[in-house]
Amino acid sequence: MPVEEKTLRVALADDQMLLRAGIARLLEDAGMDVVAQSADAEDLLRKVGAHKPDVCVVDVRMPPTHTDEGLRAAAEIRATHPGTGVLVLSQYVEEAYALELFADGADGLGYLLKDRVADLDRFVESVKRVGEGGSALDPEVVGRLLGRRRREDPLAPLSPREREVLGLMAEGRSNSGIAEHLVVTERAVEKHVTSIFTKLSLTPASEDHRRVLAVLTYLRS
Amino acid sequence: MIGLKRALALLGALGAVLTVLGVLIALNTEHIDGKIPLAFFSAAIMGSYIGVGLSAWWRRPRNRIGALMTAAGFSAFFLPLSAANSSLFYTIGATLGSIGYIIVAHLVLAFPTGRLETASQRRLIAASYALGIGAPLLFLMFEGDCDCDSVDGPRSAFLITESPGFIRILDPVVGLLGVTLTALMVRVLVRRWRAATPHARRALAPVLWTGTLLVATLLFTLAFDALGDMTDEAESVVDLVGIIVVTAVPYAYVLGLARSRSWRAEAMTDVVAGLGGARSDLQAVLTDALGDPSLEVAYWLPERGVHVGADGLPVLLPAADDPLRSATDVRRDGVLVGALIHDRALCDEPDILAAVANGAALALDHQRLDAELRARVEELRESRQRILEVGLAERRRLERDLHDGAQQRLVSLSLQLGLVTQQLDRGGTDAARELLDGARGEARAALEDLRELARGIHPAVLTDRGLGPALEALADRATVPVDLQGLPDERLPWAVEAAAYFVVSESLTNVAKYARATHAEVRVGREHGWALVEVADDGVGGADPSSGSGLRGLADRLAALDGRLEIESAEGRGTTVRARIPCR
Repeated sequence: MPVEEKTLRVALADDQMLLRAGIARLLEDAGMDVVAQSADAEDLLRKVGAHKPDVCVVDVRMPPTHTDEGLRAAAEIRATHPGTGVLVLSQYVEEAYALELFADGADGLGYLLKDRVADLDRFVESVKRVGEGGSALDPEVVGRLLGRRRREDPLAPLSPREREVLGLMAEGRSNSGIAEHLVVTERAVEKHVTSIFTKLSLTPASEDHRRVLAVLTYLRS
Repeated sequence: MIGLKRALALLGALGAVLTVLGVLIALNTEHIDGKIPLAFFSAAIMGSYIGVGLSAWWRRPRNRIGALMTAAGFSAFFLPLSAANSSLFYTIGATLGSIGYIIVAHLVLAFPTGRLETASQRRLIAASYALGIGAPLLFLMFEGDCDCDSVDGPRSAFLITESPGFIRILDPVVGLLGVTLTALMVRVLVRRWRAATPHARRALAPVLWTGTLLVATLLFTLAFDALGDMTDEAESVVDLVGIIVVTAVPYAYVLGLARSRSWRAEAMTDVVAGLGGARSDLQAVLTDALGDPSLEVAYWLPERGVHVGADGLPVLLPAADDPLRSATDVRRDGVLVGALIHDRALCDEPDILAAVANGAALALDHQRLDAELRARVEELRESRQRILEVGLAERRRLERDLHDGAQQRLVSLSLQLGLVTQQLDRGGTDAARELLDGARGEARAALEDLRELARGIHPAVLTDRGLGPALEALADRATVPVDLQGLPDERLPWAVEAAAYFVVSESLTNVAKYARATHAEVRVGREHGWALVEVADDGVGGADPSSGSGLRGLADRLAALDGRLEIESAEGRGTTVRARIPCR
């Protein structure tokens, strides 16, 4: 692992106090600095303005209406503080929300099922990635996008292994992350990625979050 | 009434004497050419007016038409009187000779009630009387010669001084005033005709048309008099027409009554034939029979205390002082079954309305049952809609409860278990133990949440053990002491048990939320195939069943089982919720 260059500064927003505290403890254990905690979106926006964190972890449903406050806060934070990443957590994940959230770019954005917090390492890694300007998209959303029934399946030419790699790319992982997950060499992953981009006639992109966007755009079409 | 009868008989005798006297005077005149026509017409006018007038007066003492007609008949005596040879009698007759015409005009304008309806009409008639008496009087005061067929006729007994100059001015002025007043009368009559409903026209027609013709003739005469150049032949023709028309008025009145009566018979025939025939549309039959296209049939639903239309939707009856619409109750064997809502003008014909309402009562009662059914269908449709909405709202509430409760706790639990793993990896067993305690707490709380939620959806004890134990469980968890009475030992149909359970559950929730009660009582009973459930508290009362979805939802739930919900909640007297559910 590369040496930590700086401590990631995090803001949390969730109206469930216990869960918020649990996440805070988890992230602090992982060496991050939780600079602010809020129970609602309004308070979060104020604290983001004050503390300028690197990343916010935001629950979708919060007071006062308990609908999609988190998504709206994410959009606002992206607009007013481009330097702050936002990771949205939700009890349910919906492709529609994901596509809406990623409509203007995937950099510095994440959308995960809330349950993912239990997988501590991966969750921490997702927070870190979003905080560094990358992306995180829940495997369930990706799976559903990939699994959509279409009259002419554009993914038909892909081999099973290539589909697996495409899914991990869509989640926002880097080549090395994919290699680690599949227990293959990074070189093998690179080969797969090139093949996928060729088969789907996509422009190859090097940066992770650009790849997410390319894949999403493709899947949405 | 004996007094009236005697008075009218006396008037009749007096009329007969005057008529004979008039004939004698006419036959003995020395200054009028047509003695025989004069005698004939004066007798005809007096006889018909007084005869018809007295009979109308006798039959409808409160209607002034009879009195007016009788008065007109007596005033006709002044016509032959003005033919008298004596100067005094001639002068009296000539002064009052026009008053008969004005009474007839008054009668026509006041038809059919005998009262002038507006102040302007009253002013018009008053002015006419003033002119009709005042003008001849002025002429007789300033002109000595009689306007008659012989040169040596009687002279005015009221003469003050001969003044041809004044007469030359007076003549056109009186003519102009006369034309103006009669033109105004024509206008009133035309308006009256236009405003009349079709049925009213049937009764009004003969009198209004004769009256209009009469006034028009008068107008014509006066106009030519004012212009001053009408040939003698033309004048005598117009006079003849005028006299014939005047004579016709009482007969027109009798004809109008007959038409109205025959219309009543016709209307009844229409109703009977229409209802007996293939036409089942009561409203159309009654519309035709009464000649009122705006007629509506309203059915009385005693259970709901409202009138409804044929479509089953509630109908408001017009207020008693509504100027345009009016309602007539329809009763069958004295029991209210509905109402006819109709043009106010039909109120002038209470006999016909009553007859038609009676004739339609049976059919209306039958259709009322139909309407009741339709109203019930409409009510059911609305209630079904509400049940659907309540169901959806309930689902949203469940989703919210799951999301905020058990789901959050499980996420939190899995997070803590993750932290435990991390601690164990790092060898921190104490920290791990502490985390595990927290995790167990979360699991317990999640279970608790789920249990509460499941109970709210459908309590297991109700399914397994029935209403009694389920209500006991509710009473145990209530916020105030609850007395349970008459809990059933046997099982009831499950839908009845569930409805009864939710009545008690919702009521006890309301007791906790709003009643500020110290005590509540739940009574359950069975009676003639009904299950009765009652929840009473000693709180502040004032619960409004129409506000808030809880009670409304309960009412709908019960309506679906043909049950009923009653709520008594007077301010400060506690609240009693009573449900009756058919239990077969």
